[in-house]
Amino acid sequence: MSATTASWSSVREPGAPTGGRGNRDKPKKWGNPATYFVALLFIAVCIAPVLYIVVGGFRTNSQITTSPAGLPRPWVTGNYLNVLSSNTFWGEFANSTIVALASTIGIVVLGLMVSFVIARYDFKLKGAMYSLFAAGLMFPLVIAITPLYIMIKDLGLVDSLFGVIVPQIAFGLPTTVIILVPFLRAIPKEIEEAAAIDGASRLGFFFRMVLPLSGPGVVTVGILAFIGSWNNYVLPLYILDSQANFTLPLGVQAFSSQYSEDTAKVLAFTSLAMLPALIFFSVFEKRIVGGLTGAVKG
Amino acid sequence: MTGVIYEDASCVYPGAERPAVDKLNLDIQDGEFLVLVGPSGCGKSTSLRMLAGLEEVTAGTIRIGERDVTHLPPKDRDIAMVFQNYALYPHMTVAENMGFALKIAGVPKTEIRQKVEDAAKLLELTEYLGRKPKALSGGQRQRVAMGRAIVREPKVFLMDEPLSNLDAKLRVQTRTQIASLQRRLGITTVYVTHDQVEAMTMGDRVAVLKDGLLQQCDTPRHMYEKPANVFVAGFIGSPAMNLIEAPIVEGGVAFDGTVVPVDRDSLGQASSRGESSVTLGVRPESFDLTSDGTGIAVIVNVVEELGADAFAYGTAKVGGGDVDVIVRVDARNTPAKGETLHFLPKPGETHIFSTVSGDRLSQ
Repeated sequence: MSATTASWSSVREPGAPTGGRGNRDKPKKWGNPATYFVALLFIAVCIAPVLYIVVGGFRTNSQITTSPAGLPRPWVTGNYLNVLSSNTFWGEFANSTIVALASTIGIVVLGLMVSFVIARYDFKLKGAMYSLFAAGLMFPLVIAITPLYIMIKDLGLVDSLFGVIVPQIAFGLPTTVIILVPFLRAIPKEIEEAAAIDGASRLGFFFRMVLPLSGPGVVTVGILAFIGSWNNYVLPLYILDSQANFTLPLGVQAFSSQYSEDTAKVLAFTSLAMLPALIFFSVFEKRIVGGLTGAVKG
Repeated sequence: MTGVIYEDASCVYPGAERPAVDKLNLDIQDGEFLVLVGPSGCGKSTSLRMLAGLEEVTAGTIRIGERDVTHLPPKDRDIAMVFQNYALYPHMTVAENMGFALKIAGVPKTEIRQKVEDAAKLLELTEYLGRKPKALSGGQRQRVAMGRAIVREPKVFLMDEPLSNLDAKLRVQTRTQIASLQRRLGITTVYVTHDQVEAMTMGDRVAVLKDGLLQQCDTPRHMYEKPANVFVAGFIGSPAMNLIEAPIVEGGVAFDGTVVPVDRDSLGQASSRGESSVTLGVRPESFDLTSDGTGIAVIVNVVEELGADAFAYGTAKVGGGDVDVIVRVDARNTPAKGETLHFLPKPGETHIFSTVSGDRLSQ
């Protein structure tokens, strides 16, 4: 299969007509204005709130009252500096980071192990096990929140970051398994056999072949897990009590009720809280799609 | 002494009624190039995979040298395998691919590099050592797969149709290279193919399998001259041997209008078993054209000209029915379509098989 692709690419000569009407080299013309209008409309709907929050942080409260839609005049950096110099923000930022990183690592490591077994071992009830993980998708965290809270309480993890991390790992596994199982299944059987003959044990195969080959898939589930954890609100709301343990979404909530009159400051805090996830997502967005569509080619 | 011995080795896939390989007995000598050949589904790949440890041996034993490896995992068998799709590790460079087994075995890095470079030189891969398999052509990938096997210096090479993914011209070229490489290295090799030409040209000996049963294991020459049964006779050789069922008469077998004389002993064997007909096997090149109108009358349907040879595909009549006959004719003087020619098999080049069992009757 791969051999044919190689020969195809070598057959195509440089400068050979690529088919069609040969207008591909010409500069692209502007398309239908209606298309642009609709596209811009959607972009505006998506971006406007984010932009409002980010720009709003650069205004004073009086500016917000007098001209809520205008640009800040003058631009005020005080709100941001104020937030950035506060211990609360950085404490919550650290909590969020710890929770997100720990959840991501847990989800990726455990998810990869489960997926490897489901994808490449033959055993009874394999299909049932896969279905069980898939069924987890239909069981959102919010529904389970009360029994979950009781369990966390019994475990003595209330008001501890672990109380957030452990359930997040559990609820993150279904997505991970569903993405990774087909991914790992796509690794050709012959590669496993070749590795076996070359002296790799099953674990050796996992570490030397599966791990490097599943890179794109792991990145995808890792990013999804990280962003999911960063933005999680309900679970920390139930589990975490003391302000010192708050994650950013809780912090935003607490901050906005504490400074409800100081809208500009709240906007600054909010935008700083959501920026990391936003940046993270835009940087890795291409790899997420790549990981969802890509398989291993031999 | 590192030959390979199959003793009554069988493999039954779970849920299958019939064994994929049924009591295979093979004794492969040290340094020998043995080719397993047969139609698809005959169990040739399964036999190889049993030797590799990739399929379970459900009965019997397999030994490499003096060691019983029947139930050893693949990594403990000291073998190397070349797969049909090469199974190169996509995330490793050519050098890493070739050195992988040594790396796992804990060989020092400098030694690995030395061995990889030697093998790369042998296979003309030196300039590609830093590339990933994705950036190689089919033939180069095939060579890397060979290199991966060579670097290990194993006791046995296993090759599972390693040439099937190459184009026809490259296949012929690589065929010779593999055969000469094997002779040079002197490592016992078991090679699986479905292509009987490949089998005949490469193997010291050829083992023909059908439905999981070994039909015959012999040198290519001997197998061509004395096929053990109708299946081997029809499978080995291209174009295939003419296999014609004809009634036994006094002095030979009867075609419409003529009697082809054949070995009396074999006819006697058949009639003593109460069989009234035998299967006559004649290779296309074993026919003599007769000019006086004696012999089997063949009406030519098609003539295939291959340059050096030409083959006439025609029909002859036996017992009132038509049978297809392929005859090699003079390439410079080919018969016309529709022409009737008369042929007689060359004496001593006829094969007689029992029509009932398919076994060879003639000596």
